[in-house]
Amino acid sequence: MVNTLAPERAERPASRLRPSGPVLAARARRRQTVVGYLFLAPALLFFAVFLVLPLGFALLLSVSRWTGFDLGDIRPVGTDNFTALFAAGSTFLTPVLTNTVLFALGTVVIALAGSVLVATCIDRLRFQGLWRTLYFLPMVTTVVAVGNVWKYMYEPGGLVDGVLNALGLGSVAFLQDPHTALPAVVVVQAWASVGSAVLVLTAGLKSIPRSYHEAAALDGAGPVTVFLRITLPLLRPSLLFVCVTQFLTGLQSFALITVMTKGGPGDATAVAALEMYRQAFSYGDWGTASAAAFVLFVVVLVITLVQLWVFRRKGEDA
Amino acid sequence: MTRPARGLNRRHFALALPSTLLTAGCAAPHRGTGRPGDPIVLTLLSHYSSGALKKALQDPVDEWNATHDRVKVRNVAVEFTDLLTTFMVRQAAGQGADIIQPYCLWTGQLVRAGVLRPAPPEHAEEIRRGYSAAAVGAASVENRVYGYPTEAQTYALYYNARLLRAAGVGGPPRTWPELEAAAHRTTRRDRYGNTLVQGFGLSVYDDSTTVGQTLALLNAAGGTFVSPDGRGTAIDSPAGRSVFELEHRLVTGGASAPGVNVYQAFPSGRVAMVISAGWWTGSLKPLMGADYREVGVVPVPVPRAGDRPATLSTGFLLGVNTASEHPREAWEFLRWLNAERTGARGVTRMSALQVSVGSLTGRADDMRALLGRGGDPNLRPFLDALAYAVPEPNVPGAQRAKTLLRANIEALWTGQQSVGEALRTTRRQVDQEVARPW
Repeated sequence: MVNTLAPERAERPASRLRPSGPVLAARARRRQTVVGYLFLAPALLFFAVFLVLPLGFALLLSVSRWTGFDLGDIRPVGTDNFTALFAAGSTFLTPVLTNTVLFALGTVVIALAGSVLVATCIDRLRFQGLWRTLYFLPMVTTVVAVGNVWKYMYEPGGLVDGVLNALGLGSVAFLQDPHTALPAVVVVQAWASVGSAVLVLTAGLKSIPRSYHEAAALDGAGPVTVFLRITLPLLRPSLLFVCVTQFLTGLQSFALITVMTKGGPGDATAVAALEMYRQAFSYGDWGTASAAAFVLFVVVLVITLVQLWVFRRKGEDA
Repeated sequence: MTRPARGLNRRHFALALPSTLLTAGCAAPHRGTGRPGDPIVLTLLSHYSSGALKKALQDPVDEWNATHDRVKVRNVAVEFTDLLTTFMVRQAAGQGADIIQPYCLWTGQLVRAGVLRPAPPEHAEEIRRGYSAAAVGAASVENRVYGYPTEAQTYALYYNARLLRAAGVGGPPRTWPELEAAAHRTTRRDRYGNTLVQGFGLSVYDDSTTVGQTLALLNAAGGTFVSPDGRGTAIDSPAGRSVFELEHRLVTGGASAPGVNVYQAFPSGRVAMVISAGWWTGSLKPLMGADYREVGVVPVPVPRAGDRPATLSTGFLLGVNTASEHPREAWEFLRWLNAERTGARGVTRMSALQVSVGSLTGRADDMRALLGRGGDPNLRPFLDALAYAVPEPNVPGAQRAKTLLRANIEALWTGQQSVGEALRTTRRQVDQEVARPW
């Protein structure tokens, strides 16, 4: 309601005191923005403290020399740390980085093949929850326990040798022979990874409509053809997820190798994460450790991008 | 008017609370002034973190605290595997302990990083006078003493007399040819190639075991790992070659199975002879029970009869942090613990502590007084070895050099490298490491 009796002059000061609609709306938006940022602040702070800061510090260390004791003693050395990693006689490229890639590759191949087989079998069985739980158990067991149990099984004269001897075969020094040490650890990592992969793949199998299989069967396709032409292509998103995550885990593996072989015999099972840990915490060479970390980051990034590209390209072709 | 004021207060409070918490979390604990009622508190960081070791150190610390009003000592301990990391993290955070007990291998690394304070002249003199040359060498860098040596470990040959007798070996070997012969005679395998008894225990268990065994043999052959000036390796020498050849012959001949964990196999009677440090006697006794009677210890065999004995020694030291605000008090505590003689036998508290846990210090006179009557006779060879042992190299980069040596020894044992390749690779890699500018 408008007060027609009120003097016109009196309205002007009042309009100055009370903000108009657009100003109020702008204030409200600003307040909402502030409140929004306040809600985000804990997460952003966490992200900054535990990711951005360490990342920046690692970047600084990768171009510096630091013994790990005195923060005032960080000396810039340019790209020396990176050059040293790839200098003649350095063990970083071979065998460390080569072992890392072979370890990850071996783990992915065995775990993927094993999990596809197990998931397909489970999909046709009763009590699927029980089977999935059984296969998932290694995932909830500590790596130290898993590593130690397998180490004892691999010991000369241990359970695995006992089985070989019972079959009339000679003993194998699995973890002591440089030719068998890396494959032996790869098998353990793959075994421990199958559970999570099975979980993802069984979910993927469930999402494939039954009608596709029925239609293929009506058209006379056998089980192998159905698996290769229907199941596997439709399982591709799940396979991609398993493949990428397993590869990332394999490339960053540390605990299992530390428990089982400590990188030996010789450098036969030395991997990048173990080498980084030793450089930093045992040798006090944080610069080299940080440079190695960035090299590993680049390797992980490139391999992941290649995997995504390959799977997407196949997806378009299909 | 009141609303903005309240908002301001909340904002101040929101800023002040985390700031206060952060400051409180990062602030160094109050360490006292030494005035009446406010004693100086020194922190001692060691690896005596459990069982008998923890109690053994806590007892003299309690005694000091009960008899000294102005300066108190707080004992902090972590596992040995976490010790170096803990030094690093605490030092970088400005909370380094006043007194630290590093492994002597790290001395060069800690000196290079400016963590260890050189011993004042009177303490350095006391240390040089009271300890064996090997113990002093392990606690020194470039002839400068950095702390009181605590436990000293020398290496000798353990043997199982029952296994030697069963194989018709008259007694423990004194020379390398006797060692090889005894190793081959005592070795037994089943038809699948599984080792039942390992003649001479070479082991890839860890750096200390693998490298310790090899360096003890190298020292016995008159060689050293690092050159006297610490600027390169001296392992690619006739002595180094003879050690690598001996180990290669033992492995390829089947008398040694490096994959076997000797720390489990020897107590269970599956290893006839093995080179290890003195601390092991303390573990073997409870582990083997009555069977320990069959265990004997002799000096590390030498290449030829009549050669001078030599072996490896390792150890720990107690030093003062450069970041300590009370170095004088810290050194005084260390003198009280390591040099002041007490009790009926007139030995130092540290010597009594070490012997109580089955270990030794570098004070030969204390050791003879403590082990003179009723002690384990197997400790005697380790004690005698203090006189001729060679300290483990502790140059900057020593830990890395040790790991590189271990990798090459393992490559030799597993047939990845020949003797010549292993020696050359070790020399190249270790020279590169110790020559790095820091």
